[in-house]
Order: sequence, then structure tokens, then C-alpha cells
Amino acid sequence: MPGAGTTVTGGIEAAAASAPERLLPWGRSLPATWGLYLSFVRLSFLKFLAYRLRYYTGVISYTIFISGHYYIYTALFASSAPAADGTVSIGGLSLPEMITYVAVSWIGRSFYFNNIARELSRMVTEGEIAMQLIKPFHLQTVMLSEAVGESCFRLMMFTLPIVVVIVPLFHLRGPADPALYLWTFLSFCLALVIYSQWNFLVGCLAFYLKNIQGVLRAQMVSMDFLTGVLIPFTLFPHWFQTAVQWLPFQGISYIPVTIFLGKRPGNELYHALGLQLFWAAFLFILARLVFRVAVRRVIAQGG
Amino acid sequence: MAANDTLPRGKTRSGWSLFIWQIGIYTAYFAQFVKSRLAYRMDFLIDTLAISVSIVIQMAVLTTLFSKVKALDGWSFPEVLFIYGFSLVPLGLFNLISVNLYRFSDQYIIQGKMDRVLLRPVGTLTQVLCESFNISGLNEILLGSGVMIYAARELGLQPGVGHILGLVILAPGAALVYAGVFLAITSVTFWYEDRMGLAPPVYNMIRFSRYPITIYSLPVRVFLTFVLPFAWVAFYPATWFLGSPGFARAALLTPVVGLIVFGGAVMIWRRGISRYASTGS
Repeated sequence: MPGAGTTVTGGIEAAAASAPERLLPWGRSLPATWGLYLSFVRLSFLKFLAYRLRYYTGVISYTIFISGHYYIYTALFASSAPAADGTVSIGGLSLPEMITYVAVSWIGRSFYFNNIARELSRMVTEGEIAMQLIKPFHLQTVMLSEAVGESCFRLMMFTLPIVVVIVPLFHLRGPADPALYLWTFLSFCLALVIYSQWNFLVGCLAFYLKNIQGVLRAQMVSMDFLTGVLIPFTLFPHWFQTAVQWLPFQGISYIPVTIFLGKRPGNELYHALGLQLFWAAFLFILARLVFRVAVRRVIAQGG
Repeated sequence: MAANDTLPRGKTRSGWSLFIWQIGIYTAYFAQFVKSRLAYRMDFLIDTLAISVSIVIQMAVLTTLFSKVKALDGWSFPEVLFIYGFSLVPLGLFNLISVNLYRFSDQYIIQGKMDRVLLRPVGTLTQVLCESFNISGLNEILLGSGVMIYAARELGLQPGVGHILGLVILAPGAALVYAGVFLAITSVTFWYEDRMGLAPPVYNMIRFSRYPITIYSLPVRVFLTFVLPFAWVAFYPATWFLGSPGFARAALLTPVVGLIVFGGAVMIWRRGISRYASTGS
């Protein structure tokens, strides 16, 4: 193959070095930039719409996850001794609250989930990253836009069907205050930003590691644990609860779900949302900086 | 290993000679695989890391649950831990040969690799399974055994020759159940291209087959025992070691269930092969 094996580094590095300029390459106005990224949201939505059939069996998977945990927690509550007033409460949650916790955390996961880490590492390993770098967009913002588009699709074609199946199946009851639905949704939207930016950071490891598959799998299994999807934090030993409070992961599942359960009355609600906002902004900026440094390592194959 | 040298033209094999010859093929495949994999030692170590993390997480979940109760529906922490540890051994055995079952539709049907398989004088299933040898299954076998031994010590079980013999019989039997279930799902792609992806929800069910099935309602128990027999991959065989009354005897049926499920799946596979029409690419 003629041309294959020719190494072009200069062009890429130059492109990377001028990253801030690339955001507005032709003196593009801010609304125009927003409009362009919005079109990535739309395109990603349409792309996933084409593969919607795949998500039908996903509804079954999520029903299995929620049902399995329903049985585990039912057995757990049946096996523990009731308090003086005859009620059983584990980690500050009653059994109906626990079932709601499980259901809402998985329902939320069906909305914010995406594969940015895998996608970014694939681009780096296969060299497609070079093509992304010469485009007049910032890859991080493009991937965030695509994640938003994916989640819009998920909300309509995946989360909603799951809700339709799960709510009657487990006789779930929502909060008395209807405003909490809105706050929970807003909280899950912030969760989406935190989740996608964390994933982007993990994907950046592909610039440094030859084989990232193991890391991706390890983070995949740890995520559901650290976000509070597998077990509510209040069941953990005290030291572990303190530890997870200093991590961004609680903003992905534990915070939105406890908002839904009405466990954050008054100002605690705003504190929780503010904390999520902080982590979203922090991880976004961190990912920007890490990407800027990591991208200098790209050596692309020409041809 | 030149497997073709062992097959003179125009000769057919039967009985023992066929069996010995098949074993030779497996060995050749495995040797070839080990050679190709030795170049990627890091992959194996990274896989060890990933599986270790998942085991640590699972143990953290169980520890947290059991920090709230003494027993879950009458099952103690070490007992549940033992069932979990056992479940990893057949899963590891199955993972040694399972990768191609997940990507069969894409690689063999849509991309047409199946044509090449059909041209060779070796069984189709043998080829498809052997072409996906994945040594990282050893991780699950070793780490699962570790968890099992730890739990057994907590339970005060004295491991004897009988236990090892039981493991050698029950674990492959349970692995056959996995193999049968996923082979059957894969075979369906001969009729319907697997656009729907039936394997993921079934795979996701595995994690709940590691809990004592007594926590589930009767319909779920019946389903896991007779319809999608995942109760036989972990719970029933593990109870033989635990000596749980009522279940320990059923555990001995595990190899029989494995043979039935796998045999049934092979029949579906053969029917599928007979109606296979290439994409022509």
C-alpha cells in the first residue's frame, strides 16, 4: 500500500497546539457555535433512532436487574429483626422506599448511560482521532453533544418503556410533591454531564495505555457500585460513606434518587444540586485540560 | 500442528478413531491459540485485574448486605459466598470457548466466515468454539476457587478427595448448561439475524442465579429450574458441597441437566446449519 506507514506528526501537533483557536476557526459567532453543536445532538439522536430495535431487549435486561434486586431486598428485610414499633428499616429506608430506590436508580441509569470512554479509546486505537482533530470542533464538546442526543433518544425509546413496565409491576408510588419530579429530572440531567465527562477522562487513558479494555471493564463494574446503583450508600459502613461523599460518583445516581425519595428537604435539595453542578463543571474543565495534554501524544499513520 | 496431515484423502473415520482424531484437533487449536496469545501476556494480566475488581465489588455488595442481617432467608454469609465462588468456576470454563457465540451473527453469518468453516473436514461447532479460545477464563476458575476455598474454611468444611471429585464432575456439568443456553440462543441466528440481541438479557440474568433461589418467588424458581435453567449453573451444584437438605441430592443431576441442555442446543445448531444460506460475499 503506497503511503501507508508514512508518519505525519507535525500537522497533528500543530492542530493540537492551536486548540483554543479551533473553537472559533472562521470568526464564528457564539450562537453559530452553539447551533453547530446542537446539530451534533440532533444527528446523534437520529443515529440512535435507527438502532432502536436493539433497545427492546434492553427493557428486558433492566426489568431483570430491578426484579433481581427486588427479591434480594425483600429477603433482606424479611430476614432482619423489626424495630420496637414493628417496622423494619435498613439504612434509613423502609422496604417500599428501598424498592423505589432500586427502580429509580436503574431507570435513571437507562437515561444517563453512554459509552464515551469506549468510543474515545476506539478512536485513539484505530487512529480515527486524527480525522477528528482536524475538524473545526472540539472533540470533547462534540462527544458531550452526542451524549445529550443519545440520552434524548434513550429517554423516549428506552427509559419511558422501562417506566411503563416497572411502575405497575412493583406498584411504585411517586413523591407527594410534584415538584420533586422536576428536580429529579434536572438532577439526572446533571448526572448525565458528570457521567459523560468522567467517561471522557477515562477514555483519555487510551492515549497512554496500549490496552485499555481491562481498565474499561474494571471501571464499568465499579461505576454501578460507586454511584449507588447497586446499594444505597446508607447501607455502607460509616468510613465508606464519608469516602464516597468526596467523590463525584454520588452525583450520578445517589443524589438524584434520594431527591426523588424526598430525603433532601429544604435547603439540602439546593446543596445537593449545587454539588452536582460543581462536579459537572469541575470534570468538564479537568477533561478539557487532560485532553489538551494527552492529545500531544498522538502519532497518526498516514495513508 | 498440521491437523490436515492426519486426514488422508478418501478415508472416513468412525468410533474411537474419530474421537481420538477430534481430540487431536482440539489440541492443535489450543496449541495454536497459546502461541498466538503468548505475544499478548499483558492482555491476560489486564483481564486478571478486571475480573479481580468485579469479584471485589461483588464481595463488597455481599458483605454490605450481610452487615445488616445474620442470614439471608436462612443462608449464612459464607454459604452465599461459597455459591458465588462456585459459580465462577463453570463460568470460567464456559468463557474459555464462548466468545464466538456472542459474535457469531456478526462475524460468521453477516461477514460470511461460516463459508470457510463449512469447507473444512472438521465439525462446524468444534471449529466455531475452538476458534474463540480465550485463556482469560482461567482467571475466573482460579479466583472463583479462591473465593470457594475461603468460604469453605469459614464454614469449617474439610476439603477432601470427595469434594475435588465433586467439583470435577459438577463444574463441567454446570458449564454445559451455560454452553447449551448460549449455543441455543446463537443458533437462532440461522433463522433470524440477531438484530434484537437476545443474549444480553440472558447474560444479565446470570448474576442473579448466584443467590440462593429460595429468595425468589415460586414462578421464578420454576423458571430458573426448568425453562432457563440457570439454577443449575451455581445454586444446585453448590448445595451439594454445603449439604443443604432437599437440594444436595438434586445437585447430582447437574451433569444430566447439562448434557440435556447442551444436547438440545447441538440439535438446534445442526438444524440451523442445514438451512444455512451464505450471504455470498
